[in-house]
Amino acid sequence: MNQEHTGNDVLLEVHNISLSFGGVTAIEDVSFDIRTGEIRAIIGPNGAGKSSMLNVINGFYHPQQGSITYKGETRPQMKPHHAASHGIARTFQNIALFKGMSTLDNIMTGRNTVMTKNIIWQALYFGPALKEEREHREFVEHIIDFLEIQAIRKTPVGRLPYGMQKRVELGRALAAEPDLLLLDEPMAGMNVEEKEDMCRFVLDVNEEFGTTIALIEHDMGVVMDISDRVVVLDYGKKIADGTPDEVRANQDVVDAYLGVSHG
Amino acid sequence: MFYREAGQFKSSYNADQAILPIAQDRVFVIGVLAVAFAGVPWFIDSYWVNAIFLPFLAYALAALGLNLLTGYCGQVSLGTGGFMAVGAFATFKLITAFPELNLIIVVLLSGAVTAAVGVMFGLPSLRIKGFYLAVATLAAQFFLVWLFNKVGWFLNYSPTGQITMPSVEVFGVLVTGPRATPAARYLFCLSFVALFALAAKNIVRGRVGRSWMAIRDMDIAAELIGIRPLAAKLSAFAVSSFYIGMAGSLYFGVWLGSAEPIEAFGIEQSFLVLFMIIIGGLGSVLGSFLGAAFMTLMPIVLKNFMVDGLAVEVVTAKHVEITLMGVLIIFFLIVEPHGLARMWQILKEKLRLWPFPY
Amino acid sequence: MGSELMFFFETVISGVMAGVMYALVALGFVLIFKASGIFNFAQGVMCLFAALALYDFMAPGGWIDRLFGITLPVWLAIVATIGVMIVVAWLIERLVLQHLVQQDPIILFMATLGLAYVLEGLGDILFGSDVKPLDLGIPQGASDWALDTLGLYVEKLEVVAAITGAVLVTVLAIFFQRTRIGRALRAVADDHQAALSVGISLRTIWVIVWSVSGIVALVAGIMWGSKSGVQFSLSLIALKALPVLILGGFTSVPGAIVGGLIIGVGEKLAEVYFGPYVGGAIENWFAYMLALAFLLFRPQGLFGERIIERV
Repeated sequence: MNQEHTGNDVLLEVHNISLSFGGVTAIEDVSFDIRTGEIRAIIGPNGAGKSSMLNVINGFYHPQQGSITYKGETRPQMKPHHAASHGIARTFQNIALFKGMSTLDNIMTGRNTVMTKNIIWQALYFGPALKEEREHREFVEHIIDFLEIQAIRKTPVGRLPYGMQKRVELGRALAAEPDLLLLDEPMAGMNVEEKEDMCRFVLDVNEEFGTTIALIEHDMGVVMDISDRVVVLDYGKKIADGTPDEVRANQDVVDAYLGVSHG
Repeated sequence: MFYREAGQFKSSYNADQAILPIAQDRVFVIGVLAVAFAGVPWFIDSYWVNAIFLPFLAYALAALGLNLLTGYCGQVSLGTGGFMAVGAFATFKLITAFPELNLIIVVLLSGAVTAAVGVMFGLPSLRIKGFYLAVATLAAQFFLVWLFNKVGWFLNYSPTGQITMPSVEVFGVLVTGPRATPAARYLFCLSFVALFALAAKNIVRGRVGRSWMAIRDMDIAAELIGIRPLAAKLSAFAVSSFYIGMAGSLYFGVWLGSAEPIEAFGIEQSFLVLFMIIIGGLGSVLGSFLGAAFMTLMPIVLKNFMVDGLAVEVVTAKHVEITLMGVLIIFFLIVEPHGLARMWQILKEKLRLWPFPY
Repeated sequence: MGSELMFFFETVISGVMAGVMYALVALGFVLIFKASGIFNFAQGVMCLFAALALYDFMAPGGWIDRLFGITLPVWLAIVATIGVMIVVAWLIERLVLQHLVQQDPIILFMATLGLAYVLEGLGDILFGSDVKPLDLGIPQGASDWALDTLGLYVEKLEVVAAITGAVLVTVLAIFFQRTRIGRALRAVADDHQAALSVGISLRTIWVIVWSVSGIVALVAGIMWGSKSGVQFSLSLIALKALPVLILGGFTSVPGAIVGGLIIGVGEKLAEVYFGPYVGGAIENWFAYMLALAFLLFRPQGLFGERIIERV
């Protein structure tokens, strides 16, 4: 549906990634690409290796085989802070907010990678450090406005309801001004209204900021509606890749979801 | 009725980011500082300064340091006594080697030396977490105290095994040694503590503080959004040790005047400071002060009450004191695990609504 | 055998024996940590408290003597002390743990530090703080048999301690594996919530675990007390057990034993062969450094459960 702004240059490409824990194989020889400006969905039944794939992309898991090309640079694996400082931000399946901190502080933490003033200036809280803090605060306030969470700015996130926490987490990821945003089940456990809100935010982020988005989601309606291309994983293998319509028509995908036995 | 923030509107982010956004809090803190700097020195005598004010200030600084590490960055340390020893011995060595060096510089340098040692012992935190780390920091505690006790160079080969602080002047006023006036010693320590409490408050509300808290609350997530655990944890160890080192320096140099490594910097010190931040409030600058005050005053009050009030024998009183300390600690943990700072906060909330609580 | 080698063996053997003693203390820690996730710093003071009570029950002028005009024989005194430790465990659950159920581990740790103060103070008030020689008829001095046949100097007391330790561990293992309570304990150790949901009473379990730890503390207290008298420094053996714990893993019974042996032997060897070069008295920190160095390679200890991190 928003095909018009999907460029054709590839932002990130994973080649032949294999990942296993001990003897358990999580991902087996998977390759796909993510193009600049698109919304790319990764779907598949539980345990298909979707979250592991995101973890490989931002460097938390180190694959045994394969390589990742990001912004034209190829490397066997990423380091988490390298990924973060080069514009990959993410949210988590089970909310991973900093519970002891306020909404504002959580989102400010997302700007850590772009803040530079050292600890001495901060101890003095004067001059450059004050200016820096103010500038970033202004940026964060834009995000707070965008996500409509002004009212909970100073509330410790531990006290917020689930849906709000998901929203704050999105805010924290956006604060890093990412080129590539990884969303791990952004709508899981939400009611219809909250889902609609979240969809709107995801589409707005994609359109207004031009952020490339890779998302994992179980709600097929949502996936087919908002994504430009879909990759389907099952038992750690890629079984389909294409536009929502192509994927929907794919027999393997239907089998995987309906549970036809393999082999 | 008087404690209200209604009507105080902020028109800039600067104002909203101020340390004390509420006007009444500002007035209160300025009042306390005014009394501490301008009032107390007129009345202070040598009993008060030695029994209450100097221990309070030295321990408050140490508690502040430990709170930065444990309360803000989530790394439990039981090495505080050892790090205080580093600060004390650095002061001793510096002041005896360079007697003309300004004591302010010496205290700061002692902090810096301790920071370096702290980073070294903080390295395991990159691999070890939780109680494993806490026990590992005991290695620092025991090793450092042993080192200072065994290696004669640190003691300047003192035959008694003690180190003694020479009399030192700062800007023409004696602040250490037996002839220093109580007011001078008190003001010297107070200046350090007030200044560095402000610095601590600034650090924890900025980028570095947020990265510490992120590591504390969820280290994996913090790493994945681009916070380097290495930088965050080691900076916490460095800053924390810097504070604890200065505390050790003041503890030995200004308060005690002379010290013996095993007695003055034993593991009891580590536990004492840890108690201070737990009872005061983890992750709270104010809590560090409340905890230090509580743990300094409680034994004195208990002892005076029992020995003078109830005429209990001194030895028995000591045992009862230990027992009661334990009971009080447990009691506080049960009543308010988040410490005195949280109680203060709740009190303020109530005050805001008073006299119409609903 | 050359005398050099003999000396080496003697050092190793005394290390093994010391290791068993450390393991006894570490065992008490592991039991409580496994069942409740509490890092019980009061374990060392519990050893002291148990030993003090035991001594008092047998001594003229003790509480039993003052109340009933008799002193108890050894076996009855031990039974009475076990009773005391069970009461202590029950009180701890009642007055402390019950009120701190959902708190952070560090808060619970702090509470046990407070507990250590209380037990230490109470021990002094109830039983007096002077050094007491504990004599339960455990043989002292060098073992003639070892000296005659092998030419090795081995302390009889240490042999008794080693055997007692082995028996205790076996009994505990059987208790955990074969009895209904043991199964419940293991269930609780695996998952508190799940155990609660199948009707296991957490409170009862805690009382039992603390009682068992109290009994282990009594055994350790007897051994250490027979060796160097019952005095305040007995409570400091807790500090000796901590490196054993990080080496063996907080949750592993075999870890506590193997860790104890490694620390015991390592420490004795270091003391004899390395200590003199750096001025001696290294036993205070050597074990910690050893454990720390080890941890850098294996952060979860020898037998600790490996945690796979996930998000």
